[in-house]
Amino acid sequence: MSAQNKDKKAGSKSRNAVIGKTLVYIILLVITAAMIVPFLWMLSASIKSNREVFLMDPFVWIPKEPKWDNYVKIWTKIPLLKFVSNTVFLTIVVTFLQLLTSSFAAYSFAKLEFKHKNILFLAYIATIAMPWQVYMVPQFIMMRSMGLNDKLLAMICLQAFSAFGVFMMKQFYEGIPTELCEAARIDGMSEYKIYAKIMLPLSKPALSTLTIFTFVNTWNDYLGPLIYLKTESKKTIQLGLKMFIGQYSSEYGLIMAGSMVSLIPVIVVFLCLQKYFVEGVASTGLKG
Amino acid sequence: MKRKLLSILLTTSMLAAVLAGCGSKPAENTPAADTTSEADAGEESEPAADTDESANAPEDTDASAPGEAVTLKWAIWDKDITPYWNAIKEGYEASHEGVTIEMVDLGSTDYMTVLATELSGSGSDFDVVTIKDVPGYATLVSKNTLEPLGSYIADAGIDLSQYGGVDKQVTVDGELYELPFRNDFWVVFYNKDIFDAAGVPYPTNDMTFEEYDDLARQVTDTTFGSQIYGTHYHTWRSAVQLFGVLDGKHSILDGEYDFFKPYYELVLGEEDDQVCRNYADLSAEGLHYSAAFSGGDVAMLNMGSWFISTMIASLQSGEYDSSLCGNWGIVKYPHAEGVEPGSTLGTITGLSVTSVSDKKDAAFDFVKWVSGAEGAKVMAETGNFPALMNDEVAGIISSLEGFPADAESKEALNVSNLYLEVPYAENVSAINDILDTYHKSIMNREVSVDEGIASMNEEVGKLLAQ
Amino acid sequence: MDEKRAVKNKKIISRQARRSLVAYSFIAPNFIGFAIFTLIPIVFAFALAFMQWDGSNEITFVGLKNFIRLADDTFFFAAFKNTIIYVIGTVPLTMIASLALAIVLNQKIKARGFFRTVAFFPYVASLVAITAVWSMIFHPSKGPVNYILLNVFGVAQENLPKWFSGSLVLFTLILFSVWKYMGYYMVIYLAGLQGISAELYEACGLDGANTWQKFKYITWPQLRSTTFFVVVMLTINCFKVYDIAVMLAGGGDGKLSTSATVLVYYIYQNAFNYWDLGYSSAIAMVLFLMVLIITLIQFRYEKKLDA
Repeated sequence: MSAQNKDKKAGSKSRNAVIGKTLVYIILLVITAAMIVPFLWMLSASIKSNREVFLMDPFVWIPKEPKWDNYVKIWTKIPLLKFVSNTVFLTIVVTFLQLLTSSFAAYSFAKLEFKHKNILFLAYIATIAMPWQVYMVPQFIMMRSMGLNDKLLAMICLQAFSAFGVFMMKQFYEGIPTELCEAARIDGMSEYKIYAKIMLPLSKPALSTLTIFTFVNTWNDYLGPLIYLKTESKKTIQLGLKMFIGQYSSEYGLIMAGSMVSLIPVIVVFLCLQKYFVEGVASTGLKG
Repeated sequence: MKRKLLSILLTTSMLAAVLAGCGSKPAENTPAADTTSEADAGEESEPAADTDESANAPEDTDASAPGEAVTLKWAIWDKDITPYWNAIKEGYEASHEGVTIEMVDLGSTDYMTVLATELSGSGSDFDVVTIKDVPGYATLVSKNTLEPLGSYIADAGIDLSQYGGVDKQVTVDGELYELPFRNDFWVVFYNKDIFDAAGVPYPTNDMTFEEYDDLARQVTDTTFGSQIYGTHYHTWRSAVQLFGVLDGKHSILDGEYDFFKPYYELVLGEEDDQVCRNYADLSAEGLHYSAAFSGGDVAMLNMGSWFISTMIASLQSGEYDSSLCGNWGIVKYPHAEGVEPGSTLGTITGLSVTSVSDKKDAAFDFVKWVSGAEGAKVMAETGNFPALMNDEVAGIISSLEGFPADAESKEALNVSNLYLEVPYAENVSAINDILDTYHKSIMNREVSVDEGIASMNEEVGKLLAQ
Repeated sequence: MDEKRAVKNKKIISRQARRSLVAYSFIAPNFIGFAIFTLIPIVFAFALAFMQWDGSNEITFVGLKNFIRLADDTFFFAAFKNTIIYVIGTVPLTMIASLALAIVLNQKIKARGFFRTVAFFPYVASLVAITAVWSMIFHPSKGPVNYILLNVFGVAQENLPKWFSGSLVLFTLILFSVWKYMGYYMVIYLAGLQGISAELYEACGLDGANTWQKFKYITWPQLRSTTFFVVVMLTINCFKVYDIAVMLAGGGDGKLSTSATVLVYYIYQNAFNYWDLGYSSAIAMVLFLMVLIITLIQFRYEKKLDA
């Protein structure tokens, strides 16, 4: 009797589990669809003619005659190549500087003792909570008086030294046992060597995470370039795309093709680094 | 610890104050600051700072003397798709030996904002700047970035009456800071094929608003899939509310906007009956008026005369499909009952000399040339309307290849009264934005016409009372 | 003896100084850039709020005048109100959505990596591109969303929602933000979830707790510090809203009407269109104070729970 009961219980339990699992999958599929449909729509519209884009009856994802030449046209309609190369240049330089200087400074904050350490770190922390928009105007005036207006260099100065990077890397380094450094010091290694030989190789997840963040932010930044970059030859892909949308407002296919092009680099970088990503977030204490 | 923090803050704020000081004074007063910023910039190699002092001295006329090389830096927009910039540059350089005009393209979106940024404080090296609109002009004047031209105009003996009075609408406290070289006015573009297909007579140069509305409704076809819109209003407020200033009794500087009401009702009524595309749609997709008209489903479009040269050029290059919009014409703006036909809105484009320029005489000579008879000819030949308008110029434009051949279209170029879309006032920039904001609210039907106009009255009233 | 100590002291000092020097050398590259391009402008911003300046002419000190002007500014209040509504709408929704997604994706399910990657897509996608798609999908008369509402749900044509204007526009902005940012916060929650030891659940499972009880008694309390971090970051980020509003509700000219205007838009407008730099800084100070107050309240609350 009791055995029968147990069986029943186990049966209902496993049935519950199945129902639960199915529910989970349904929810997941719905959310995933909501996440990905806009991108599929973008891809689909980018090979359609203007008439086909909004054609609902019948709606097709792939038109009978895909207009691949949308992807050719966009490069000639606006100086897209120039925009892309500006953005690639900016993104690479900013990401590199950000990784280098942040991890450098973070090492010092995490593993070295020095005067005013707390005050200096407080300065960093305080500015994380300060929206950039609060000081963007004075910052712009200052940069302009330094002759940086309408220079790509301005964007580099603006984005390469974020407090966020230092904070993130410091959290990560604090998770690495100090004994490792102590041992190396006793072996007579200099601090620079410890940083280069021990810390850096260990910080792959954190560096990957910071790379994704910096890359995504720089690549997609709009307000910064809008304020600083004026001449067309210096504009970034986001400004260029916005300009393109303004000029060719009804060329839906072209707009979507341009948008696709602007997405590809970030998505590639993300896919390459994503396996370190959750680990990186977890170990950098970003979870709080 | 607290005290140290305080001292750090103080030092940095002092540093900031010093930096702020550099930016705050006009470049002429701080040659030192100017040189450093020039040096920082690296690319600019002109010895701007040390010649600043002598810029106003009478003997500094050698800049424009023949033989000596002068380079003038000139701010413009959309170099590649606007034909006249280069024509002007070449025309001037050909007749002025030793002068090089260096064009800097600041892009057309936010051009005036960008220009104001460029000219603020030190670090700018423009000699001549193009003024795209009046609100931006007002900003630049209040920032003391433009050179007053009164004495130059007197010295050169320029007769301002040749501009037909528009110069008075941009005079600031008796002083003029720009000379207009381009003067666009609004007309109605229409697609003859659509009228032919519907068997409706073409619009004429003498239409009342009622007749215009009737025509638009007659050609409209609301069949789904093959819609024809009788008319089209671009999302700018000028395209709707400024019908109200054509009687010459009102201006957007009034602070009282009840005269907008009939025109809002006209346009919203047309929207309701699908005679024109609705504003919410246009706004969502940011549809450009040229795309709307060249798509071949819009019968009439009220737009500035600048669109004439775009139509001609784009049809010739094949950018626009001539089977959709190749058969077009223009007529004068519709008019209210009892108002003389040919009254319309105008927009002037002008040139100014910057106050930081070290070659002001040479710069003014360029401005004078462009806004004078020679410049007017260059403009007309590229299909644009110079500020210095006369029969000869109108003749050049209407005989351009691609200009509509009918007599009505030619006649449409004769303007009887021209009212600037935005005349000068000190706070015109803010007034402009207030009107824009509530125009949006009314057209999006967030508020009723009455509520919207009441808000305009209240907000602009508040501004004018300051 | 004293001499010896002095020498020793000196040695210690010099060793300390050297160590400090090394430490500073690590910090310097970042800190110099940070100080010049961030710290100084911040101090400058505070000062500017009490000044009147157009960027060209003399700066004048005007005391509290800029703040007094705010009290009678319709557009400021509209921007303030919209920003607050946006924050109140976006923060909890994003938090709940990302937590739910993280919990689901933390289970042993098939193609977990794929789902995680997809959820993160909107975050990495450029705003310009993705808002262009949204304005097409939600196009008031041609878009597929309204098409479905019209033909599948039978909504009358005149009642079709105009997603980008009027009272709906803030809702659309919130919806968009949740969609775009939930993937990002999901990753943070995932990291948090992975920090909870499995033993806790096992102990609980033996007592016959159901899923909800597990969540209530283990997951939620264990994630408290993560939630705190998420909410603080979300709040800060939501107050900064600008590009989303301009791109979704700005129409062709990028101008926002009173139904969609936000604080940063008004800061930008005053600075770069009217060149009223002092006034724009005063608005920025209000923005900063809002962020500061809300962050402090959250800190307080967190501390209280800790105690």
